[in-house]
Amino acid sequence: MAELWNTIILEPILNSLIALCSVFGGNFGLAIIVFTVIVRVALLPLTIRQTRSTKVMQELQPKLQELQKKYAKDQQKLQQEMVKLYREAGVNPLGCLWPLLIQLPIWIALYQSIMQALAATPENLLNLSQHLYSWDLVVRAVPLNERFLWLQLSKPDPNLILALLVGATMWVQQKMVTPPAADPRQQSVNNMTLLMMPLMFALFTLSFPSGLALYWVVSNVVGVVIQYFVGGGWGYLARPSSGAKVPPTHGQPQAKPVSKMVGKETEQSKVLTKAAGSKKGGPFRR
Amino acid sequence: MRLIVIPKLARALLLLAFAVAVLVTASCANPEWQGWSGITYYEGSLFLGSMDGKVLAINPDSRKDNLPFPGTGEWAFPFPTLGAARPVCGPTCASPAPIANVYATPLVAGQLVYVATCSGENGRILAINRSAPGYAEGTPMRSKGEWVYPGGVESIGAIVGSPVLYDGTLYFGSSNGKVYALDAMYGEKRWVFDTGGKIWTSPAIGNDVLYVSNYRHKLYALSVRDGTLLWEKEFPASVSSSPVIAGDRLFFGTFDCYLYALDAASGDVKWKFKGGNWFWATPVVQGGAVYAACLDNKVYALKADTPIERGEALWEFTCDSPVIAAPVLVGDWLVVSSKSGKVYVLRVETGSLEKMVAIGAQIMAPLCAVDNTVYVHARDRCIYAIDVERGEVVWKFSLVVK
Repeated sequence: MAELWNTIILEPILNSLIALCSVFGGNFGLAIIVFTVIVRVALLPLTIRQTRSTKVMQELQPKLQELQKKYAKDQQKLQQEMVKLYREAGVNPLGCLWPLLIQLPIWIALYQSIMQALAATPENLLNLSQHLYSWDLVVRAVPLNERFLWLQLSKPDPNLILALLVGATMWVQQKMVTPPAADPRQQSVNNMTLLMMPLMFALFTLSFPSGLALYWVVSNVVGVVIQYFVGGGWGYLARPSSGAKVPPTHGQPQAKPVSKMVGKETEQSKVLTKAAGSKKGGPFRR
Repeated sequence: MRLIVIPKLARALLLLAFAVAVLVTASCANPEWQGWSGITYYEGSLFLGSMDGKVLAINPDSRKDNLPFPGTGEWAFPFPTLGAARPVCGPTCASPAPIANVYATPLVAGQLVYVATCSGENGRILAINRSAPGYAEGTPMRSKGEWVYPGGVESIGAIVGSPVLYDGTLYFGSSNGKVYALDAMYGEKRWVFDTGGKIWTSPAIGNDVLYVSNYRHKLYALSVRDGTLLWEKEFPASVSSSPVIAGDRLFFGTFDCYLYALDAASGDVKWKFKGGNWFWATPVVQGGAVYAACLDNKVYALKADTPIERGEALWEFTCDSPVIAAPVLVGDWLVVSSKSGKVYVLRVETGSLEKMVAIGAQIMAPLCAVDNTVYVHARDRCIYAIDVERGEVVWKFSLVVK
């Protein structure tokens, strides 16, 4: 299993990263940045699909809450109604999950690649020898120069700069897609997660190699840019995501009354249906 | 059904948390011991650095008889750690107390044992009294001739390559890119030469010229007297193995899988030979032949003084895994160890296999040969004494001592 993982996922990513480093004159920091952008762009169709699916799901939330209240004592009926609602809206509730699952191995492999490529110890360097292709670009680049700006990429950033950047970019990215919740308890949970994740990753940055933190920052920034263009602006960052009553903003994802939407396709669901290439009225469309 | 109404963000966050947990677990679940100090034999004792920050003197006779440690002439000296952070791989395995490791083979001269240490990105050279270390609370005992460089709480870059002693001066390279020349008796600095690139290999000295390579594709020839640059040569890839001098030639491997033979006086390339992976171990030269171990699992015997291409080697022998440790010559045999823990005894003329011993532990440290015995410092933190004539392990000693 480990062999398969190395051959199919880890080694292509590792060698591409090192080849990029060679192309950029041995600058591994620049290679990480460019590689991250390439990976994010390659996954763009998935990200767009996920973003749009999420938007439609968010639009359905008020109606879902209505259904939950209405059928609180009849779980079976609730399930049927929810399935019906999803079908009419043309979304699969798990549709926004699988793009994340596809990206997960790439993130893990990228992390492993950065760690292996930097080879902080002689043991790591020896281990690297078993994963390299015989490309001239690759073999001539190792051992890599781990200096980039003020950073030593195999070591954590001794300053707080990278930790702050990781935390801030992650917060912005999350804030753009976190809708306000009518339920104060849900809103409280939202606020908590909105703060906790950036804080957690900022703390990780203090102990992880700065090469990986650099990847996080670039990945977040690319995520924000994608969200800006696909989501149509700054999303919930441009207005408060707390309180039940939120004034609608043109072009922003918002919690619309679903009664107006169900039974006829919204612009988002039209786009989603078109993108998925599925037939109206069929099983869950993704 | 409840899962369906969980906001997408919460699910994404859950997945992210899972991913981070996987990353941390994958990188830190099994922290390995670091360091691969070779063994030095001197006047009946074996000296080496352990993977847990100790220098040991071992009496082979006591180990053969399985006497309690320490026996006669034996000691274990825990050298002081440096306050540098270890290479960090995540919050769960970042150790607050860094351990100093030893990658270099200790050097023994007169009454002193010279040990190069490596603690994260910092390093030091320690001179220890070989009869009985006199260090008290990390401070060398001057009355016993001991010293440490640099002194006090200072350190230089990590030292991975082994130091070399030549004409009363100790020479070594450091990860900070500098080559140091110290007075072997008192540890005082004679000169320093900055190569500008990380040095993880040992220098080689011949005819008053010191040859050292860095990880910026360069090889330098320096005067041992004052560190003056005689010549420097740039290669397509960095030098992977420590160089070795034989006659007027210099032999070493590079990261683009070549083994080079250079004219030691001018730096001109005489020939190069392509292997299937890096030539990591220091080559062995004897009787007009170069024996070079490679990470492609092979050992090549090449003619030292004529240009040859791949396929025209004298012979090659394939092991079961990469050969990391430098091989040794024992009479008419070449003893080679593979990473997986197999020790091969080959006939030097033909490369034919005479004996094979499997110790069952990884081998990365250079081998040490004394008469018909080869000592192996394995990754299971044990020393193995192998009788190459009989092809069997004579004794085994665990370095996990209190």
